[in-house]
Formats: sequence, C-alpha cells, structure tokens
Amino acid sequence: MGLEQLLPAIAGMTWQSLVMIGVGLTLIYLAIARNYEPTLLLPIGFGAILVNIPLSSAITQIDPATGQAVEGVLNVFFDAGIATEIFPLLIFIAIGAMIDFSPLFRNPSLLLFGAAAQLGIFLTMMFASLLGYDLREAASIGIIGAADGPTSIIVASRFAPNLLGPISVAAYSYMALVPIIQPPVIRLLTSRRERLIRMSSGSARKISKKALILFPIAVTIVAGIIAPSSLALIGFLMFGNLVRECGVLNKLSLSAQNELASLVTLLLGITIASTMTADRFIRVDTLIIIALGLFAFVLDTFGGVIFAKFLNLFRKEGNKLNPMIGACGISAFPMSARVIHQMGLKEDPYNYLLMPAISANVGGQIGSVVAGGIILTLVPFFA
Amino acid sequence: MTATVEKALLIAGIGMVGIFVFMALFYLLILALDRFLPFHEETPAEELSEDSITDEEE
Repeated sequence: MGLEQLLPAIAGMTWQSLVMIGVGLTLIYLAIARNYEPTLLLPIGFGAILVNIPLSSAITQIDPATGQAVEGVLNVFFDAGIATEIFPLLIFIAIGAMIDFSPLFRNPSLLLFGAAAQLGIFLTMMFASLLGYDLREAASIGIIGAADGPTSIIVASRFAPNLLGPISVAAYSYMALVPIIQPPVIRLLTSRRERLIRMSSGSARKISKKALILFPIAVTIVAGIIAPSSLALIGFLMFGNLVRECGVLNKLSLSAQNELASLVTLLLGITIASTMTADRFIRVDTLIIIALGLFAFVLDTFGGVIFAKFLNLFRKEGNKLNPMIGACGISAFPMSARVIHQMGLKEDPYNYLLMPAISANVGGQIGSVVAGGIILTLVPFFA
Repeated sequence: MTATVEKALLIAGIGMVGIFVFMALFYLLILALDRFLPFHEETPAEELSEDSITDEEE
C-alpha cells in the first residue's frame, strides 16, 4: 500500500495549500499575540487551515467512489448564513444594541464626518474599475473603505462572491490596523497648531430617553422611504439600537450585545474561511485587493481630515474644529476615537478630544451603513 | 476613459452627495428630537404620589 492510500492528505498537499495554511497560522498569530481583531481573525485563520488540508471534510468534496458531492459543514454554513446575508444582519442587531447615540445628540454636527470619511469607498471603487475590475467587483473592493466588516461582507457576497475571502480579510485586518494607518496620514495633513486645537466636549448634557427611542425608528422610516434597498442594513442596526434604548428588553439587549454577537461572529469568521481555498486565494487579485483596501482606509482618513479643515474656513477663531476629529468619521468604533484622543494627548496632555471623537465615530458607524445601502441601491442600476 | 470607469465616477458622485444628504437629514432629525423632546428629570412615581398627598393635606 503506497503513501497515497495511507495518507491521502499528505499526497494531495500542494505548495498552494501550504501557503494558505501559513496564512491561517499568521492570522491566528496576529489574533493571539497582537490582539488584532481576535474575534474575527482567529476563526478566519483556523478556518483557512481547515479548508486547505486536502480532502478536508469541512468543505464540499467529490467522493471518488461514487462521484457524488459530499457537502461540507462550512459550505452549508456559507449557503445558510452568508449567501442569505443572515449572519452579517444578525451582527448588525448586535452592533445596534452596543451603540449609544447620546454623544451624537450632544454634538450633532459631527455626524457629517461620518459622510466625509466614506470618500475612500468611492475613490477606491473608481481606482479598481481603472484596474479593469467590473463595476460590481469594484464596488465590493471599494466597500472595504467602510471600515465595517458586516457591510463589506453583505456587499461582496451580493456583488462579487468570488472575492469575498480577500475582501473580508482585508476589511477586518485594516480595522485592526487603524492605530498604525491613521496617525501618519493625519500628521501629514495637519500642522501642529491644528492638532493643538481644543474642542468642547458637551458631555454634561443629558439626553431625553424618548428622543433616543424615537431616533432609531425615525432613521429607519426616513432611510426606508428614500432608499428601500438599504433597509436591511440600516433597519437591523436600528432595530438592535431600539432593543437597547426601549428600556423594557434589557435582557434581550444584553444577549444581543454578548451572546448573539459572540456566537454569530464565531460562525461568520469560520464560514468566511470556506472561501479561502488556495485556488481562490492565491491569486494576484488578492494582493491587489489588499493594497486597494489600504488605499481606501488612507483616503477615508484624508476625506475626514480635509472636510474638517474645509469647515474651519467658515468658523470663527476659538470655535474651530480639531481636524484630527475628521478621521474618526470611519466606522472602526471605538478604535479610531481612541487613536485621535491619544494623538491629541500626545500633542497637549490637557487636550481631551475623546467626547467629540466618539461623536464623530458614532457618525461613522451610521455613515458606513448608509454608504453600503447606497452602493447596494446604485450599482445594479449601472452594472 | 472606459464605460465602467465613467459609471464608477457617476456612482461616486451620486454616492457622496447621497451620503451627505442622508447625514444632513439625520442631523435635522436629531435637532428636531432634541428640541421637541428635551431632557426632563423624571420624578419617581412614589414621590409624586407623596407630594400630591401633602398638597391635598395642606
């Protein structure tokens, strides 16, 4: 009996499978040793190992004896949870239950940074189309700039399921790398004088419970009337927030924030890995997508900071915005707000930018979902 | 410029304007909610009833 019969997995191992197992190990290392988005990168990394061992029963294989397909559990999860968009939408309920919109009520004008910092999505989409990707693929690559994993997964699974693996890995990796990506871009775009600008926090003002309850309902209705196809994204996010704010579903709110978020994130991560087989992942496309993802995050930061500088042209001395706040308009919450707060403290130990940074960051969470909804609405019209 | 790039440019333009329109609407919504539903310190129901009893007695 030869090696092929005894250990068919070893006999079937290719250098591509080994590279992918190496990618999986790297993701696991980043998750455990560097604490980079461990809830997602660890299951994705482990899943990458699972699906790249030849003849793995975790993914669908053809039975050589019968010639029939034997469905793997990860493919079943993919068809049930990602192709149907159920997993990312459940994550939105959990995220909604975690968001406190009070900081936005204290500094509502900072909501606009949640729009400006989505610039990277659209410029990256244009750049990807220049590189020869079709409109659906370009939009799926651009959405990495939403800095919002579930939105990226929904858009990519609908428009370019073949690119879902690299897009998800890029989205979650760069979200974890916000403390490394944003500071040099911000320093390049701002002077020290601008970084020293102090802003009022407005943190003492209390917000009416009724207003916080009505907000998610009103946002859902407004978004639904203007762009019904964005409702799945925005509606689930706002539903989660209503569960949090209503005051009569505290147990459900806590379950959504903890158990639901943990369980679905786990399944989402390991299921995404089912798309990370060597034949799909080891391609020039993957490197291009990862490079374009970084480009999107840099342009998001650029958009937010430049918009803040633009607004400062019209504001009086003493009432100017610290342009670093603009960079918090991305969805990576609360990572981006923390980074800006730390940068502010580094320049001036008494400059507390945390509250305005949090307000802009919450705006970014809404902005990224709105951007996803707009992409889902517009692209089918033009593609 | 290819047709795809032209379409991408158009989507980018409409998309950015669209996001600002959405956010401006949400901004107005927050202002309206804050104006018409301002924060009031809530008085517990028990305190209210005790106050009313005291008032009646007076």
